[in-house]
Amino acid sequence: MTQREVLFTGVGGQGVQIASKALAMAALAEGRDVLLLPSYGGFMRGGKTNAGLTLGDGPLRALPVITSAWSAFVMDQAFWETVRPNLAAGAVVVVNSSLFSLEVEVPRAQVFAVPASDMATALGSPMSAAFLMLGAFAAVTGVVGVESVVGAMRQLVPAYREQHVAANARAIEAGAASVPTLAAPAWPDVAVRS
Amino acid sequence: MTTRLMQGSEAVAEAALAAGCRFFSGYPMTPFTELLENMGRKLPGAGGVCMNAASEIEAVNMTIGAAATGARVATGSCGQGLALMQEGIAELALNELPAVIFNMARGQQDYFQATRGGGWGDYRTITLAPRDVPEAVEHTQLLFYLADRYRTPVVLYGDYVIAHSTVGIDVQPIEFPATAPKDWALDGSMSGTGRARQIWTWALGKPNTPGPGPNGSWELIAEKYDQIGRAEARHEAYRTDDADVVLVSFGTTSVFVDSVVDELREDGVRVGSFRPITLWPFPGDALEQATRGCAHVLVYELNAGQLVDDVRMHAADRSVIRSIGGVSQDPSGMRQGDLLNADILRHRVRDALGLTPQGATS
Repeated sequence: MTQREVLFTGVGGQGVQIASKALAMAALAEGRDVLLLPSYGGFMRGGKTNAGLTLGDGPLRALPVITSAWSAFVMDQAFWETVRPNLAAGAVVVVNSSLFSLEVEVPRAQVFAVPASDMATALGSPMSAAFLMLGAFAAVTGVVGVESVVGAMRQLVPAYREQHVAANARAIEAGAASVPTLAAPAWPDVAVRS
Repeated sequence: MTTRLMQGSEAVAEAALAAGCRFFSGYPMTPFTELLENMGRKLPGAGGVCMNAASEIEAVNMTIGAAATGARVATGSCGQGLALMQEGIAELALNELPAVIFNMARGQQDYFQATRGGGWGDYRTITLAPRDVPEAVEHTQLLFYLADRYRTPVVLYGDYVIAHSTVGIDVQPIEFPATAPKDWALDGSMSGTGRARQIWTWALGKPNTPGPGPNGSWELIAEKYDQIGRAEARHEAYRTDDADVVLVSFGTTSVFVDSVVDELREDGVRVGSFRPITLWPFPGDALEQATRGCAHVLVYELNAGQLVDDVRMHAADRSVIRSIGGVSQDPSGMRQGDLLNADILRHRVRDALGLTPQGATS
């Protein structure tokens, strides 16, 4: 059984929570087992907002607090230090390089820099930056299909924000196109799957 | 079967509905808030009522009233709010009213509160401590059954991890044996007959139908809790058969403990784990059996030492018991802190056993 862990980090308001939930939902739709635990304090915006997600191709034997993660989804450098020590050597680290300029001090890390905030702004929807990152994350790892991310996003965006669905979908596609496809595959059988 | 992505709070709410819960009241307090929100969303559609009370004291007293009508009812909070509810929980017990009380605790510091109670009088609360969301779904339904079966308040000891973990889950109703008809319920059916029912602490009764009186009522209630103590203790013993070392923990901490047991077994350490599933009644006989002949009994709980009291009462050899947990609160104050961590736990176990650090050569 292969199990994959993703640590999400960012600042409240950037979309980290919805991105983590979208990845969990996309994986569930693809038949994976999932365990997601968010972690945030008493801030609506501006504070630490993290999440830990474990995905598996069978019943999980997962701990809700992850200390040796396969990958990181880094929306912002502000709370990077809360994630870095919990990454395994060789971790896949996808960073929003618009808001991240630190050294990734993880042994043998495979780093993919996506200027997600700048790209989303150029696309006319700065609020879609987290979905752009998620599109890139899905494409580079194949942890879920890009189309599954779009499907999960459609389910998660509430009806009163329906107007953002098209922009989010464009952002997911743009993110996916900005990285080398399957440069760091998540699953042994991923090439067959996609 | 439809598996949906659900937060633990929503899954527990679905389980409560599946068990027939039709009244819920509470006052928001993280990490209990999401359970209240989910009950508020779901209960009206199921023909039930959810009240956002003005305080925890109001919430528990609403629950007493709703329980007296014979409906399946629940309330909850985290430990702080449950502190306010203790008088009401005692009244539920002494009026013999069934109710489920959800403690979505901010950590593991409410073990005494759950197992010793803070109300008045000779009563206990059956307390189940699930290790994860699927078990919380099962325990929620079991608790509604046990509450009715024994006419007593019962407690689910959850926490932030259970309330906020999101998993794919399909909540299905669980079948339990039928419970006795609620011929005590204040449902208005006896009005005007001269034999109208009454629920009153100590079952004091009325001049023409006197109850057992204070002493008789205490004796009946004591006998009931005695019976529960003998019949309802539940536990899980994991790899304890040949264990030289037994780790004891409860609730979500046990997930981390079992994981460390597997790792240490690979290193050749003969270690197992024991967890009370019911914090009360405590599975003392099972612990005695699981720890017989052990050289070490190590208690990992994230508080200053509460479960360890029960372990001292029941382990086969008191002299080998040691606490290796401790106070551990997150900076937000709403969840367990740094000790909810497999690496730290593994180090503490190895230290306690005098093993060389991993990777070091001796």
